[in-house]
This record gives sequence, structure tokens and C-alpha cells, in this order.
Amino acid sequence: MYRNLTIRQKQIVWAWAFLAIPILFYSVIRFYPTGNAILISFQDWNLLGDRTWTGFDNYQKLFGDPVFWKVFKNTFVYLLIGTPLSLIISFVIAYHLDQVRFMHGFLRMLYFLPFMTSAVAMAWVWRWFYQPVPVGLFNNALAGIGIPQFPFLQSTTWALPSVLAPAVWAGLGFQVIIFMAGLRAIPRSYYEAARIDGVSWWTVLWEITLPLLKPTIVFIVVFSSIGFLRIFDHVFNMTTNNPGGPLNSTKPLVLMIYETAFSAFDMGYAAAQTVVLFLVLLVVSLIQLRILRDS
Amino acid sequence: MADLAIRNLVKRYDKTEVLHGISLDVEDGEFVVFVGPSGCGKSTTLRLIAGLEDATGGEIAIGGRVVNNLEPKDRDIAMVFQNYAIYPHMTVRKNIGFGLRTAKMSKADKDARIDEVAGILGMTDLLARKPSQLSGGQRQRVAIGRAMVRDPAVFLFDEPLSNLDAQLRTQMRLEIKKLHQRVGNTIIFVTHDQVEAMTMADRIVIMRDGHIQQVGTPAEVYHKPANTFVARFIGAPSMNMLSGMVENGALRMASGATLDLGAGLPEGREITIGVRPEDLHPGDGPALVRGPVTVREPLGHETLIYVGAEGQEVIAKADGRTPPNVGEVVTLTAAVDTLHVFDAATGDALR
Repeated sequence: MYRNLTIRQKQIVWAWAFLAIPILFYSVIRFYPTGNAILISFQDWNLLGDRTWTGFDNYQKLFGDPVFWKVFKNTFVYLLIGTPLSLIISFVIAYHLDQVRFMHGFLRMLYFLPFMTSAVAMAWVWRWFYQPVPVGLFNNALAGIGIPQFPFLQSTTWALPSVLAPAVWAGLGFQVIIFMAGLRAIPRSYYEAARIDGVSWWTVLWEITLPLLKPTIVFIVVFSSIGFLRIFDHVFNMTTNNPGGPLNSTKPLVLMIYETAFSAFDMGYAAAQTVVLFLVLLVVSLIQLRILRDS
Repeated sequence: MADLAIRNLVKRYDKTEVLHGISLDVEDGEFVVFVGPSGCGKSTTLRLIAGLEDATGGEIAIGGRVVNNLEPKDRDIAMVFQNYAIYPHMTVRKNIGFGLRTAKMSKADKDARIDEVAGILGMTDLLARKPSQLSGGQRQRVAIGRAMVRDPAVFLFDEPLSNLDAQLRTQMRLEIKKLHQRVGNTIIFVTHDQVEAMTMADRIVIMRDGHIQQVGTPAEVYHKPANTFVARFIGAPSMNMLSGMVENGALRMASGATLDLGAGLPEGREITIGVRPEDLHPGDGPALVRGPVTVREPLGHETLIYVGAEGQEVIAKADGRTPPNVGEVVTLTAAVDTLHVFDAATGDALR
């Protein structure tokens, strides 16, 4: 029977044969739980007892919950500071690293190293940096030159930026590599032509390099935005005594979901938060793709 | 005045010297083509003239002004690159206008200049397009337009036609030549294609391994090649090289034939005789080569025949209608005044 198929039909048979495995995997591991989560978000469930239908109760509770709005805002602060900041820093590093020949490989390795490091280990090391005198590195240094203590993780204002810093740093290595690949892909003759035309360094950067890097920038923005919207391990590990504290000032949405689900065992409420996070990720990614792809 | 003078130009990368002190004078308005195999230093020379690379030694003067220490933008040159180097995210108008970015002109004057150039190149309708909406030949024209818009003293072309298909290449070749006749700027054109060199150049500069082999008009390099390298490089199919010996003032060929080439040949010296395929044909004259036909290539008006003799294969021209058959033993001959004589040891032309 297979023998009698045309070449095209045989290709389709094989394509489906290979696609069947990921499709099965995705259905069981991804789509089924996603659907189930949406279902649970309309139910009340403590993980062991019966699931009871409660309609939109979970969502009503969520939108009336001041902690949710605080957490929602925190999540966007992570996104709105983290993404542009890491984009700019990684571009500046990549742009200059691209022009360096001396110890190029070694420097690139140094920048990539944090990306390969475990987020937990990194968070704890930074947590130590932030401790008060006589433990913390930063405060010791400040004290050494006569500047008062800085309440990195204790202040409701500064805790979030302090947690964000290592998260930005951790992602830089990857973004630098992607940017360098993008820079390398721009033909040399574009720069040589600009040099013969005698335009300024600034014009070359703004009108040649950056526009030609647009696909790279789109990729990094979307990728790092998703990363910051899902920030969890840095926050959790740097604030373990009081996760997301002080006073929820560093708590992101994922941490709230985790606590609701596995400390309060309110699965329905956690599922509702998950659905909101899913929609936020979807909308933010779509908007970014729309804006950045072709304008 | 926009003449170009190169004096003892040397370029070295670390320890490797790629240009060994070349010198050349180009007159104002001349179309000069640098040609040679890859790695001969022709593109390096062009990049040195452009100022994209620094000369290790020697001097480059444009319009009587030494430009070695000037930035490319101050050298009064424009360059067209092999991959065109036109920006994919800009319209044709912006691409052409990019060359005017630093010019001290009003916006209206710049626009007028862009329109003028677009008119010359027949691209007025395409100004609003992006490069992705253009064909290869049109992109090439945008690149030329961007160079033209600045009205430079010297145009530099770095193998601009090698990315085009054969038909388009022939057409663009003609267009560039016409353009030169119209605008009259000095042009330095680099190519590895000897046909491009022959068809376009006022003078050809043939390079090899960082040395200039010969400078001359297309007719000169074709009819009076300075050495065996030039003789083989220019002309297709390549010139046949036969070995011979000078004995008693006459030339004894390996085939046994004796030719009287007149006086002036060094006695007892080994000689290489060059004869172009179109000059070599089956006939009754002195036998330069005698052997069986191995392959025939009919071209319509004539037939190229490959003849095996003395361990090498020579190419000759035969009649288009009644060529000899494959396997037939033929005697090839050529008029004495079409023969090129080279010193077998040095390769230099002897007459």
C-alpha cells in the first residue's frame, strides 16, 4: 500500500510519523495541563479533596486582592527595567567586544560564564554581597570609604532593583553572544561604503548597524521579556526568609502562584493567577512582535 | 585634474608582503582595469587607493595630491563593491543620497542631484523601492548611483559584475562603458575576468603575485604580451605554448620543423613559442605541430580542434563546415608573424 503512494504522499506520511512524537508529547505534557489549569481556575480545589465548580469566583477574588495588584505591578517593573537595561548593556558590550581582538575568546567566555551558572548559587552569592556590615561585600566597601550602610534587601524601595541586578547580569552572556552573531552577520562592505561616504560614527550606528540588527533585537527583546515576566528563582533565593519581601515589594507573579498553590494549597486561585500570567505573556509577546517586526 | 599616480606601493600583512612596490600612472578620465588571478593583489591595490587600508610603503597621489594619510572621504573617490553594499532597509533614494550625507548642500540641491543621477541611470521610477524589490542589475545600478552622486575624481570598482549572471554581466559591462564615455571621470576597475578587462579598458594592468606584469591597451596586451603569463591570461582559449631551440639563427621546433624568424634571437637558447588558437590551423606551411585530433568543439562559424602532440594538447582553429575528424592526424601551421617568442627560462618576450 505504501509502495503505491506518490513521492509527495510518502513525504507526508513520513512527516506525520516524525511529528507524531512531539505532538503526543506536547499534548500530554503541555496542552493537557494548560487546558486543565484553565478548567481548575473556575474551580475550588485543595489538591486532595473534591473539585467544586465556582465559576468566576477565583477571578473576582484575584481582581479584588491588593496583593495581586502589587505583584502585578512588580512583575511589570521587572519587565520594564530589566528588558531595556539588559538590551542596552548587552549591546554595548557586544559592540565593543566585536572590535576587540586582544583576548577576545577569553573575554567572551567571561561574559558567558554567568549564563551557565546556577541561578540559585548566583542568588546566594549576591545575597551575601548585599548583607550589612561586617558580612556583606558592598556594605563593607561602602563602610571602608565612610559611606553609611545601604539597605539593599531590607528597603521596600531598593529590594526589587537589588534582586533584578543579578537577574540582568545572569542573562547578559547569552544576549551578548546573540548580539555578536548579529553584528558579525553585517557585511564589512556596508561599513567600508559608509567610511568612503565619510558619515559619522553615530550615523553608522543609528542608520546602518541598528536597523540591520533589528531581527536580533526583536529576538532578544521577546526572549528576555518572557524571562523577566517569569522571574522566580532569583527572588525566591534572595528573600527565602520572607519570600517576595519585604512587604511583597519584590514578589513577582510566579512566586505568588507558587505560594498560593503550594503553601496555601488553593489550586483554583493559583490556576486563575496562572491564566492571567499566560495572557500577559501572550499579549506582551504579540505586541512586541507587532511593533518591532515591520514598522 | 584627477590623475592618479602610484609610486613604489608596498603592502605587508605582518610578515607577508602582498604588493611588492608597484608603480602606475593613470591619466585624467582614463578607464583602467586591473586584472589577474585571485590573490594577485589587484583588490588590495584598489583598497589602498580607496584608503580602506594603509599602505606599508610608497605613495598614492590623486590629482597631484598625496593622499596616503587622508581618510577615504577626503580622497575624492567613490567605490562600488562586489556585493553592492547597498543598505537593505533604505529606499533607493536614501541609498543614493547616503553618499551626500556629509555634503554641504541644501536639501533641495541634494534631491535634485539624486534625481539627476537616477535619470542618468534610468532609475527614476524605482527611487521609492527597497533593494529587495530590485533585480541584480538594478541593485548594481543603485550602487553605481551612490558612487556617482558625489561626483568623485576617481571611481573605484571592485569586481562589481561578478555576482551577476552572464547575460546581465555583458549588459552592465556595456552600460558602465557608456557611462564612462558620458561622465568622463577616471575609473579604476578590478576584475578577474579578462574578457571584462579587454572589452572595457582604455588600458589594462595585468597583475600577478603582487607585481605588475604588463600595462597596456587591450590591443597591446593581446598582440604584444610581455611574458608567457600575460600571453596565457589574456585571450580565450589560451595561447598555445610550444618549445623550441635556436640553432644556426633559425628556430628548431620540437616537432622537427625549422622556422626562420629572422635575426636577433640568442643562439643556443631554449625558446617558448606562443601561438594563439585562432592563428594556428591545419595547412601546408611549416609544421609547428603534428598529431591526431582528440576533440572537436564546433562553434558554427569555426571549429576548435584539440590536437595531441609531444605530450601536450594544443588548440587550433579549423573550418566550420569541413573540420578534420577525431583521430585524423593533422599538421598545424601558423604564419610566422603571428608567433610570439619567449625565453623559456624567464618567460619574458624576446620579440
